Amino acid sequence: MSPPSAPPSPTLNPYVADPGWHGYIVWYFFLGGIAAGAYVMAALADLFGTAADRRAVRPAYYLAFPLVNVCGILLILDLNRPERFWHMLIQSRTGWPMFKWWSPISVGSWGLTLFGGFSLASFLGVLAEDGRFGLRRFSDLAARLRTGWTGRLFALGGSLSAFFLGSYTGVLLGATNQPIWADTTWIGALFLASAASTGVAAMILADRLVGGEVDHRALESLERLDSYAIALELILLATLALSLGELGALAFGRWPGWLVPWVVVPFGLVLPLLLRRLPGRGAAVLAALFVLAGGFVLRYAFVYLPTAFYLVPGHHG
Amino acid sequence: MPEPVGFYTDTTVCIGCKACEVACHQWNALPARNGGQVPLSGQSYDNTTRFSDVDWRHVRFIEQFPEDRNGGRWLMMSDVCKHCVNAPCLEVCPTGSIVRTEFDTVYIQEPVCNGCRDCIAACPFGVIHISAEKHIAQKCTFCYDRLQVGLPPACAQACPTRSIQFGPIDELKQRAAERVAQLQAQGQTDAYLYGADDSILGGLNSFYLLLDRPEVYGLPSAVQARLPSRSVWPASLKAIGASLAVALGAFLSFGRRRDAVKATEGHTRSP
Ligand code: SF4
Repeated sequence: MSPPSAPPSPTLNPYVADPGWHGYIVWYFFLGGIAAGAYVMAALADLFGTAADRRAVRPAYYLAFPLVNVCGILLILDLNRPERFWHMLIQSRTGWPMFKWWSPISVGSWGLTLFGGFSLASFLGVLAEDGRFGLRRFSDLAARLRTGWTGRLFALGGSLSAFFLGSYTGVLLGATNQPIWADTTWIGALFLASAASTGVAAMILADRLVGGEVDHRALESLERLDSYAIALELILLATLALSLGELGALAFGRWPGWLVPWVVVPFGLVLPLLLRRLPGRGAAVLAALFVLAGGFVLRYAFVYLPTAFYLVPGHHG
Repeated sequence: MPEPVGFYTDTTVCIGCKACEVACHQWNALPARNGGQVPLSGQSYDNTTRFSDVDWRHVRFIEQFPEDRNGGRWLMMSDVCKHCVNAPCLEVCPTGSIVRTEFDTVYIQEPVCNGCRDCIAACPFGVIHISAEKHIAQKCTFCYDRLQVGLPPACAQACPTRSIQFGPIDELKQRAAERVAQLQAQGQTDAYLYGADDSILGGLNSFYLLLDRPEVYGLPSAVQARLPSRSVWPASLKAIGASLAVALGAFLSFGRRRDAVKATEGHTRSP
């Protein structure tokens, strides 16, 4: 008997064990992507947009902080020793900060914390602007977060931390020895584009369904931006598949990889682009919903991709 | 400072007795699973089948027999953590739980590990698993406790054929090179050393004398065993490129609208 058969490609490593990054991680990648993408666009609208644009992107500031909290909880629950989550940030033996710039999971822990800070400030800012929870008296301070030089600097810092959150997860998958993840360096870029498209879609949904009076031209410009992010995602997906060479056909030809060409591309990316061409609120809402569902399936497929290639059956972490 | 030590495993003298597995279980108090009932795997004499949280050593059995059962051979190999010189698990570990010891071995500090499992994703040899009892990452400790008091690792001490040899790494490499030369002189031309030079992760402190390609033993080749950090910069630069593309889209979309709004306001204001 010769148990280990030949690997399907000279570079793919099928002899690894499964780290068991599954359900919670899919949700973390998805929700973290929405938080990051929505926040990026809101910060960029603060930097470059009109007053109407800034109103249209306000849902991002309501969404990002609660979502990033959910992300934190998911990540902690995913640990086998959740009570030791703080070991990611503080050296448990010395009390000094724990940071490895060459390890994406270490940098990511700090990046997530930093984004938590920016999104908390913005969250309190919109609550104050809207006079909720008696925070009205801080509305001047909150306005400063979105205008003038302080506003610009804050938007720049916030958008950088959001760009990081939207993409480092893909860089992290690559910095392993897992099949397919380790065979391309495009997953971070792809996740970033998907974070942008799902983040904008979430804002559009919020504006269309509960947003009150939002300038329709500002909404149209958000929808155009979402279509742009989808186009970017399509280009990056094709680039990623090409970067895998002959492995591309293997990766996307079997479960769960086939979800990408047969579900994500037609329903999560192309269909929303077509729906956007139809007039009316219903089509726009449907398009946003498909973008969100596509973003989830994309994360699902990528998180589970290596499981199709392990050579030792039942080889779990 | 103690000398760097390692394992040299000469697979040509392994008889598949699994004394190393037993010694490892016994010394490290690794429990039996399934109430001690071992389901037969159907894979030769290998019922361990893989590394696990309680199987830090694994003796592989590879039967190579032609259809007519003439001239075949049986390869056996006691596998373990490679204590890589550039260890992927240690490189990624975000808590600092995985460290290099004064003996140049790779060790998981149990009180520090929080079970994030990035080391499992990183190890190219499928070595690390999560303990069902302790809920932290587990693997061969190179018997760190024994080394500290001058004892050899339990597996090496138990091995009756000296297939597993323990000692200062330079000495082992010299001994292994002599053995390869001896085998080749005897006509065993396929004998070679896996992991003794620095081509795989800067070298493996547990290296092997093999008689067939690495994949036959379930071992990755030098190109399949990669350092995780190799991809961080290329992937980050691509992510930065995508971020710039998204920012450009936002700038064009929001900026163009702002210009249009300004222009309209200008028109309405002009007399
Ligand atoms: S073989 Fe795996 S567990 Fe052992 S040191 Fe190398 S990477 Fe770490």
